[in-house]
Amino acid sequence: MATIIADCILSPLGLSASDTLDAILAGKTGLKRHAPVPGLPFDFTASIFSGEMEREFMVDGFSRFESLALTSIRKALADCDVPFDRRTVFILSSTKGNIGDYDGVSDFTDIILPASAAKLAEAIGVTTTPLTVCNACVSGVSALALAHRLLSGGEYDYAIVCGADVQSPFIISGFHSLKALDLNECRPFDIERLGLNLGEAAATVVLKADDTNAEGQYRIVSASSRNDAMHITNPSPSGEGCMQAIKAVMADNDTDIALINAHGTATMYNDQMESKAISRAGLGGLPVNALKGYLGHTMGAAGIVETVLTMHALEKGVILPTRGFEEIGVSGKIDVTREMLHTSKTAFLKIISGFGGCNCAVLLDKKEAAATAVNQPNLSSSRHVRLTPAGAFVDGKKVSEETGASMLTAIYKSEIGDYPKFYKMDSLSRLAFVATELLLKYDNGLERIEPSSRAVVFFSHSGSIKTDTEYISTIKSPDAFFPSPSLFVYTLPNITAGEVAIRNHYNDETLFIMLENKDWAAMEQVNRAMMLDASARSLVSGWIEYIDDLNFEADIHLFNKI
Amino acid sequence: MEMNDIIEELKASIIEALNLEEMTPADIDASAPLFGDDGLGLDSIDALEIIVLLEKNYGIRLANAGEGKKIFTSVENIARYVCENRTK
Repeated sequence: MATIIADCILSPLGLSASDTLDAILAGKTGLKRHAPVPGLPFDFTASIFSGEMEREFMVDGFSRFESLALTSIRKALADCDVPFDRRTVFILSSTKGNIGDYDGVSDFTDIILPASAAKLAEAIGVTTTPLTVCNACVSGVSALALAHRLLSGGEYDYAIVCGADVQSPFIISGFHSLKALDLNECRPFDIERLGLNLGEAAATVVLKADDTNAEGQYRIVSASSRNDAMHITNPSPSGEGCMQAIKAVMADNDTDIALINAHGTATMYNDQMESKAISRAGLGGLPVNALKGYLGHTMGAAGIVETVLTMHALEKGVILPTRGFEEIGVSGKIDVTREMLHTSKTAFLKIISGFGGCNCAVLLDKKEAAATAVNQPNLSSSRHVRLTPAGAFVDGKKVSEETGASMLTAIYKSEIGDYPKFYKMDSLSRLAFVATELLLKYDNGLERIEPSSRAVVFFSHSGSIKTDTEYISTIKSPDAFFPSPSLFVYTLPNITAGEVAIRNHYNDETLFIMLENKDWAAMEQVNRAMMLDASARSLVSGWIEYIDDLNFEADIHLFNKI
Repeated sequence: MEMNDIIEELKASIIEALNLEEMTPADIDASAPLFGDDGLGLDSIDALEIIVLLEKNYGIRLANAGEGKKIFTSVENIARYVCENRTK
């Protein structure tokens, strides 16, 4: 377990968690209809910071995104005492960071997330390697789960976890091209729901490795992630992955929980899927709420913003109503809150799902609990693949004569050949896919592992930068504004892990982490943390980097838990 | 432009836009279903990409994916819709 010793939310409704909650209790929403702006030739409804609030959080020398994150971290740190030694880790959660500031042509070194994470770590004084979780919509809860395991497993004593995202034509045009936006205020779980609204926010929690004597503070009791392994954007119609994540979290707990705070994006597919997952997990009798009607979908911040808001609401003894919800429009039997409810319970479940087939669940409670001993798993590498323009090597042995720019397609044709979806993938996914195929192809002699017990984690420095640039070219000119939905989806680099999960029917956790460089020590920490999941038995893990057709590298292992 | 010319033009642009690398226009049966397990087996993102293609090449704006579903049953049907609704 991990105790939350401080928190902060910066949202268009207020520059603290309590101001944000008070605004919600006073009936306010951050959502507002916006007229077209340069780069966005259509109206949209979103929750965006006013110029006045922006001036309050901006920090000299930092971008708008970084300033938002930094101010939120500083405010949380002001309320607690954290030693800045090698036992404290900083985890940033974001989907697209500074992307709105990028023109698609200039040097991207300072734009990408690991650069922001390094700047933020330096500004607050953290000396260990920052980890950036870039796992699409579930990033915030993935980051909480990672922090929980790094602390439970004894890797660190403190974790500072910040989730942040800001809005830009890049992101809004992308969701618009996916026909996922409601022009008016979103209506989670409602029969008339038409889609989501985007929002910007930052939230930080400071976690301390469990101190069972600390009373009155929230702790992460359990957290889990499962992949649908079905489609890169569509969730499982039966809610399979989400239900499995809920069941994994609730497995050893008979906690009397107050509510389920759902993702509730108000898209047709997400809300329907969550209703099935909740009712199939046997939790249909609990109140369910969604907070997107107040703050929109704040992407990489959402998991942390909504967790902290739910904590603060329960501190006041209330369960927030689901703004925008009137008449049930999902087939799973669930009880969505229309009015504010009162409760004396403190425990709650936060669930969230996202592109790449990811589903996460986290259980939080204030009650004291006995510390549970955690055995650090040992991992052994059973196979290794390295793939660069110079060639493809399995366990150091060259396995293909192909080299250079076209080698991924050539290897696909000669060694794989039965998966035409390969051609639809972006370069980074093709690289991850081909490297993993080689890893598994030469895995004949090994014990067969049940797909449901294998996890996937990829690490990268530049992530989806090549595809980001390609997507920007589809939105740059006002005369030729044709945002490509398929390119936009691949600007979420965790799709790489999703593609591998879909191909191989892997249902365990999938994760994407960005790092300043290929830091094996940091990667091994994350690997061990992932293997703390009770069901995980093996792991595809490693480095993938695709800058252009002559600069790419995959360096991945198949690990077994021993 | 004749229906048949539009059909051929559509086949080529669909192959390009959806990265159907291993296919040629001759492989696409203009009357076969585009989605689901029969025919081309396209998915929801492909449908959205076809919406972009129709806007870019023929100036046709479809408000939502649901509207597309009725038209995107086959290449032939898309061609008919293009004939009747194109603005460029």
